[in-house]
Amino acid sequence: MGRDAAGLLVALLLALAALASTASAQVPSAADIARGKYVFGATGGCGCHTVPKHPANAGGRRYDGPFGTVYSANITPDRETGIGSWTDEQIITAIRLGRRPNGERLIPVHPYTTFNGMIADDLQALVAYLRTVPAVKQANQPKKISVPMFESVFLPAWLAAFAPKETPPTSAPTSGTARGEYLVRAVGHCGECHTPRTMTMATDNSRFLAGNPKGPEDSEVPNITPDKTTGLTWTEEEIADYLATGNKPDGDVAGGLMGEVIDGTLAGYKDLTKADRLAIARYLKTIPAVKNKIGK
Amino acid sequence: MKSKHVRAGVVLGSLVALALAGSATGQSTAKIWTSDVVADRQRLMKLNGASWADAQAKLKAGNAEAVAVNAETMALIATQITALFPEGSLTEKSKAKPEIWQKWPEFESAVKNYAMQAEKLRDAARSKDLAATEAVAKEFGRQACGTCHQPFRVPPPQQPAPPTR
Repeated sequence: MGRDAAGLLVALLLALAALASTASAQVPSAADIARGKYVFGATGGCGCHTVPKHPANAGGRRYDGPFGTVYSANITPDRETGIGSWTDEQIITAIRLGRRPNGERLIPVHPYTTFNGMIADDLQALVAYLRTVPAVKQANQPKKISVPMFESVFLPAWLAAFAPKETPPTSAPTSGTARGEYLVRAVGHCGECHTPRTMTMATDNSRFLAGNPKGPEDSEVPNITPDKTTGLTWTEEEIADYLATGNKPDGDVAGGLMGEVIDGTLAGYKDLTKADRLAIARYLKTIPAVKNKIGK
Repeated sequence: MKSKHVRAGVVLGSLVALALAGSATGQSTAKIWTSDVVADRQRLMKLNGASWADAQAKLKAGNAEAVAVNAETMALIATQITALFPEGSLTEKSKAKPEIWQKWPEFESAVKNYAMQAEKLRDAARSKDLAATEAVAKEFGRQACGTCHQPFRVPPPQQPAPPTR
């Protein structure tokens, strides 16, 4: 009897070991995790998922839209309240296609139409990194949608008709303005705040990065196209420095949401390499200048 | 060019010193501060920004020692900040957020942190150690200015063109 139990135990252990070894074949390397942290920083530290001065990635930050109120989700690896029990594929699907494992759509306050332009390797690395962040047990707050049939009718129609869709490049450009374009358009999702929105709340990409007088959290977001009178007139070097330090050429310093994404949470724009910051700056000099004065 | 900077620093420094002397002796500070507290603090912050821009330009030129006068100006400015935010002093022109008064102790400690960081920058500069000064300066914008600007100021919507150079 005792021997049977022992035998069973050994068999179980062997089975577990076999499972563990297949799992370990997929365990991401330290280099993957480091790359994931870099991607995390390049998004601005996924800052919407952290309430300032609260545990990173635990969600709960409030966003009011014309359709109601949503709260960002817990993206820590907690199995119950976070994404710990999701597979890599499920997490990537949520990030770039906006679907939960149960098939429900995310409200596009999470900019999946933009993150759709991120390449698979970067997303895989990002997920590997997300799994290393301390798990926080904090239940997600339910959304409050005030528009009838918003999710069943309006949202799918809106996504089909108006939502801009980025197409992912097959591999991430490593240098030059192409690298800058990838970081600005997809990973850094600069347009989410800096591009004005149309009547339907879709970003108006015919005026890409031309500023938004009614940005998130009631902010007035500056025009960063190279327009000489209403846009960004800093040199490439100044833009690159700003992304690392928050310092503006006139001695002022970034604040508000831009200050937050530069600083990031566990990483932010400030952690981008100088080459990447310069690539962003160079790309910003190549986009069409749009005259659009934000603020008085 | 450099002497101009130093002279400007001395003038700024003495202005702030005057303001300090006035408040220390309990005399009216009306000669320095007008009755428009918002305009006053914006003037002070312009000066603050000019000091920081000047400090960065000197560092880029490899002149750590000359940063000390800017850092000292900023440290002195820091001592004036909280007094220029009487409760509810918000106007159309003000970029201050009402959170200042809702979280006053946090505001106070952010200002104190700013003063400490400015002193740290000053001391590094006085030691003439370029690497040490650059190390403090690298974090200064985010960790000295940013701790206050981020939660308590509405960011200006338009990036002003850099000053003529």
